[in-house]
Amino acid sequence: MRKTVALVGVGLLTATATACGGGTQAAGGDKTLTLAESVTATPWDLAKASMGPESQYYQPVYDTLLRLDTKGQPTPNLATSWSYDKAQTTLTLKLREGVKFTDGTALDADAVRKSLLHTKSGTASAAGEIQDITGVDVVDTHTVAIKLSHPTAALLPALGQVSGMIAGPKALEDPRTPVGSGPYKLDTGATTAGQTYTYTRNPDYWNAKAFPYDKIVVKYLADPTARTNALLSGQLDGATLSLNRVKTVKGRGLNVVTYQPGDIEGLYIWDRAGKKVPALGKLKVRQALNHAFDRDAIIKSAKTGLGTPTTQLFAKGEDGHKAALDDAYSYDPAKAKKLLGEAGYPNGFSLTIPDLSANFPQEQAVLNQSLKDIGITVKLDTLPTDQIFSAMLAGKYAMSYFKLGAPTAWDKVQLELTKKSTWNPFKYDDPKADDLITRIGEATGTQREALFEELNTYVVDQAWNAPWSVIANAYATAKDVKVTPQPGSQYPPIYNYAPAN
Amino acid sequence: MLVFLFRRIAAGAVLVVVVATATFLLLSLTGTDVARNVLGETASRSAVAAKSHELGLDQPLMERYWRWIEQAAQGNLGSSWFTGDSVNQSVTDTVPVTLSVVVAGMLLAAVFSVVLGAAAALRGGWVDRVVQFAAVLGTAVPSFLLALVLAVTLAVRLGWLPATGYVPLGTSGTGWLRSITLPALSLAVGATAATAMQVRGALIDVLRADFVRTLRSRGLTTRSVVFRHALRNAAPPALTVLALQFIGLIGGAVVVEKVFGLPGIGTLANSAAVRGDAPVLLGTVVVVVVIVVAVNLLLDVAYGWLNPKVRVS
Repeated sequence: MRKTVALVGVGLLTATATACGGGTQAAGGDKTLTLAESVTATPWDLAKASMGPESQYYQPVYDTLLRLDTKGQPTPNLATSWSYDKAQTTLTLKLREGVKFTDGTALDADAVRKSLLHTKSGTASAAGEIQDITGVDVVDTHTVAIKLSHPTAALLPALGQVSGMIAGPKALEDPRTPVGSGPYKLDTGATTAGQTYTYTRNPDYWNAKAFPYDKIVVKYLADPTARTNALLSGQLDGATLSLNRVKTVKGRGLNVVTYQPGDIEGLYIWDRAGKKVPALGKLKVRQALNHAFDRDAIIKSAKTGLGTPTTQLFAKGEDGHKAALDDAYSYDPAKAKKLLGEAGYPNGFSLTIPDLSANFPQEQAVLNQSLKDIGITVKLDTLPTDQIFSAMLAGKYAMSYFKLGAPTAWDKVQLELTKKSTWNPFKYDDPKADDLITRIGEATGTQREALFEELNTYVVDQAWNAPWSVIANAYATAKDVKVTPQPGSQYPPIYNYAPAN
Repeated sequence: MLVFLFRRIAAGAVLVVVVATATFLLLSLTGTDVARNVLGETASRSAVAAKSHELGLDQPLMERYWRWIEQAAQGNLGSSWFTGDSVNQSVTDTVPVTLSVVVAGMLLAAVFSVVLGAAAALRGGWVDRVVQFAAVLGTAVPSFLLALVLAVTLAVRLGWLPATGYVPLGTSGTGWLRSITLPALSLAVGATAATAMQVRGALIDVLRADFVRTLRSRGLTTRSVVFRHALRNAAPPALTVLALQFIGLIGGAVVVEKVFGLPGIGTLANSAAVRGDAPVLLGTVVVVVVIVVAVNLLLDVAYGWLNPKVRVS
């Protein structure tokens, strides 16, 4: 017994000493792309899939009807062409011919119909994106017509993401192993659910040259330190990076790209009617809050210089964004105090906000200090991470630090600005904004753009929130891998990776 | 001995049920909107309500509890609310990772602590002082810090060992050994520090005992006295400390797994706790309690083996 103990001990030590020769496999050279994801997957049922960061798990196996280019514009993929009818409520798509799922079944109009309706039947965010679909008609073997309850600009972008992925009929019935028509197949032997997913080439894929790698490995690695270490030691070809690691990783010669996933962060004012904290019902108080933040300094200190200062809810490139609005509220604590005085709060006021320091230490610190500087006293309420959303949505806090994003500007409006919106926890209702939103829903082209800008201007003037920056994400790749980030996407899609020469 | 074992196993089973029940109740009382967390912040209210129904969260607490107990008694721990993965499978995948690291860490600690403790006790003088100082240092340095330093220096800078990841023993023996060496080492240092002092103290006491003087007076060599008699008598207290360390190491493994990106049960429990994934968290709690109970049982058996007096009582 003691002998075995000693032997194993010695074994461990020799492994330490002799391992120097081994080294990990050179990444990239073997045409394998190894990526890390910071969230676990919900494979393989698209009805349970979400649009966010977990897309990379699905992209190798499930191809999409459309593909979004790096400007976010839809381009042909499984659908070679598409057109709307006059009323903008029927979208007819021509499907690529000769495409097969990996089990040999043909990808035809009926398969597309079944898959889309299956995704829509779910409750997750991929399903949410296509809730306006009322039916899918099979026009002929290679033509489908998607019927909408009302015109929506969100449909085409959605069809280029998880919502527009097409799973084979068999995978819909039994989603334990994915059957798609994507560029890769899941290698079940080299896959451990929740940990590592390995994909090998689908030999029949119609567009193989768009995918330079023979094998893709997606690993779940939640810890930012572990991700950085794995990147630096060559175990990974790509991973999302904490902003405070950007310098180190760049310094070691790796490629780092930054991009905007579209999230706006800052102080979100939920109680705009002053139901819980009467002061917030006054316009001047909300405007004072907007003057409280030194946006450039916040980005410099809390965001290590990455991000773009903003005072509006729409990011550059989104519908409704108006550059001039970013000058609406300058950093001016004196003016903020003056506005508070005019609103009847010369000595400020106090309120309770959630303490999100566990997840956003610098951001929370900045918020607390900025509020204190204009005379607002905050009492911090600590709560466990898994209860933050529920507490906020239940209207427990009149305002808080937050960040929100959505695939398109219209989605953002639906998410935050209508009376029924999920992120309008106090159900704040404003007839003027409602009217604008209704008109945007019905408008098209330049008229729609103008209405969007009008809505944005109104919301900024009314100081519904006090945003401070458009978030920047950082993504690092190995020296021999280059990646093109995709605006509006949390992680670059797998077709944006290529060997660097 | 058999009756004794049986009693311990029964007590262990009761403990598992009590802990599982307490965990279930605590998880249900937190007021977490699980369906919201599953679907993410952008989901609509109606989708959240539908998800709640799908997960059975709209049913009475007692009903949900009985259903869970019934399934668990049949060896089915349910499936994750977030990913739908079977908890049994997740536990089966993650337990070997944690056990590899913890057991290797224990073995390293056992070897190091006996060597260091015995050296300090037998040599005395400066050796003793150095060991004592190192022990204080080893106890003071938190395992996550050590893990970070090891990861950055030996793995990232020098590339001697993998910085993250786990290779199953079945896939590659050396790969497995390489993947667990740094995590095990990070855990072993703290455990060694605590146990080495125990070995040193116990050995010094034993060497002063009357029977050792008797043995020596009979002309036995020091080597024989130390290895055949003294160490054996000094082992039980050291073993107790080591067993306690084992339970501590499982806790420490959570942090070490995180730093080294190991898909162990600590990582599983941690992500389940953060998200409020009750089936997974319950499953991991039950499994960890079972492991702890089993270790204590093994410890009792080991006591009996080392010291026959225990078997009688």
